[in-house]
Amino acid sequence: MPEREVDLTRVRPYADHLGDGLVQMSFTLPVPYSLAARRAALELASAMGFEEPEVVHYEQLTPGYTYFVMYVRCAATVDFASLQEEGFDIEYLSEDEIETFAAEHVRRPIVVVGASTGSDTHSVGIDAMLNLKGYHGHHGLEGYRAFETYNLGSQVPNAALLAKAIEVGADAILVSQTVTQQNLHVQNLTELVEMVEAEGRRREVILACGGPRVTNELAKELGYDAGFSKGTYPHHLASFIVRELAARAAVPR
Amino acid sequence: MLLSELTRAAPRLALVGLAKNTGKTVTLNALLAELSAAGTPVGVTSVGRDGEQHDVIDFRIDKPRVRLEEGSLVATTDALLSASGTGHELLDRTGIGTPLGEVVIARLLSAGEVEVAGPSAAQDARAMADAMLAHGAEQALIDGAIDRRAASSPHVADGLVACTGAVLSEDVHEVVARTREAIELVRLPTLAADGPLGAAAHALALAGSEHGAAVLSADGAGAALLPARYALTAQAAEIAALLAEHRDAAAIAVSGALPESFVRDVALAARRSRREITLVVADATHVFVHERGVEHYRAQGVRLAVLAPIDLLALTVNPVAPQSHSFDSARLRDLLSEEIAGVPIFDVLHPSYRGAQPPVSRALRSRP
Repeated sequence: MPEREVDLTRVRPYADHLGDGLVQMSFTLPVPYSLAARRAALELASAMGFEEPEVVHYEQLTPGYTYFVMYVRCAATVDFASLQEEGFDIEYLSEDEIETFAAEHVRRPIVVVGASTGSDTHSVGIDAMLNLKGYHGHHGLEGYRAFETYNLGSQVPNAALLAKAIEVGADAILVSQTVTQQNLHVQNLTELVEMVEAEGRRREVILACGGPRVTNELAKELGYDAGFSKGTYPHHLASFIVRELAARAAVPR
Repeated sequence: MLLSELTRAAPRLALVGLAKNTGKTVTLNALLAELSAAGTPVGVTSVGRDGEQHDVIDFRIDKPRVRLEEGSLVATTDALLSASGTGHELLDRTGIGTPLGEVVIARLLSAGEVEVAGPSAAQDARAMADAMLAHGAEQALIDGAIDRRAASSPHVADGLVACTGAVLSEDVHEVVARTREAIELVRLPTLAADGPLGAAAHALALAGSEHGAAVLSADGAGAALLPARYALTAQAAEIAALLAEHRDAAAIAVSGALPESFVRDVALAARRSRREITLVVADATHVFVHERGVEHYRAQGVRLAVLAPIDLLALTVNPVAPQSHSFDSARLRDLLSEEIAGVPIFDVLHPSYRGAQPPVSRALRSRP
């Protein structure tokens, strides 16, 4: 427990005591294991803007490559308080709370259809969210009484995902996609949104996308109702869906 | 002629890009500056997010901010409006949620830079435009996002400004070819409502979307309804059998989305049976062809037609691909105008464009 009050307008990393700004980081440089390599790591950390860089461990990964673990000090701060006020914070419900909330506010099975679309072969994200087995001891939506789930797997064409969603009367469509800097999958994500529009169902269905680089900002540009990134557990997704359904039911459009 | 004069007749004007970084926001700013100089009250919304500081995918790319004059109307989220620090009068709370907060409609009490993120759904964007017109705007600008076209539907906007740019390819001829294909798609032929086929298709469209699709004969008489979700799910063999069964079929009308797989399979069946088939959709935003252009499918015996046309008013170009290459603006515009007839082409940042210069730093266009 911190001994003094945290100033949420000026937050920095914490290790030994509040506000010390200590960061542990690791990386690999494509240089041979040597004292010069150690020197290079220190200079790089300074170039990153860190103070008091310290190499606490370094070793050869393979000839010509050196792996480093460093302690550094971060002088910069971030204004957490204003981010909190910006309203993208969701208070997550527990599994039991989600079941109770759905039973009270939705009062029917919530149908969710999910897939990795296009050429994306990764189904790990969608499996973690939807399958009973789930992820890190949190089971997926399949394990909830409130949800009826359809996991279509990977490399699913947008047309097939949409057809299934219409067939089963989906409340929410969940797409997992690895967005790369080269924008490879962005077109695929926008196409689904546009197809839902063309089918005249955009207002009825909740669209959520997930992937390692997906943020709320990206989700908004893509036309999705929410974006989920690394560190998302199934109950985060479930909290969003039940709340959104309840909110939509409350505001008839 | 100025872009704002050319687009004045469209009370609801959509701006749609062929991809990210084709210059939608720069075009929006040029329009806003011209309308401000003319004293025209405007309203702005975006189906995505506009006026953000950095590109959402490539953080190295700085984006132009959106500058609005005092008295302008805007439909954006409450959080972004507060964050802008611009004084405003709240007119409506819409109850429409986005990942960035609830959308509100406000009137600015002073000029300022505001990040604009309105409702994502096209129908809701239309409602925002109508609300801003009702609150006194003479024109409502609806900005698109990435390559999303839904806002350009004639059921949403009265006119379209399309934006293209160097970002499409490192090869200038490829940029021109892809732009030509996209514009062909926007300008698909419209079926006259008084022709037999048009009348049948219109009747079908009016009957509601639950029918999904129908096969039509040339005289419009023999309309046969197809199973639900037909265009989304039908396989090549199914389509071939359908055309074999309906020997007089001249068209297939689809009320929802027309995916490329369906167009391709109809083309295959049409070519094998040496027939021509017209695929009819509500408007061009329902057509999803990326791999091949409209021309390619026409050569295969498949024509695409719409019930309601999109009024394409102008095409703007960004000759610079951020963090990459650039082309000579005049040459790019010349090449485009050779291939695309009947639409004025502008580079609003080029010295030859005589419009009010948008208040965006030219540094954003600096050669990499």
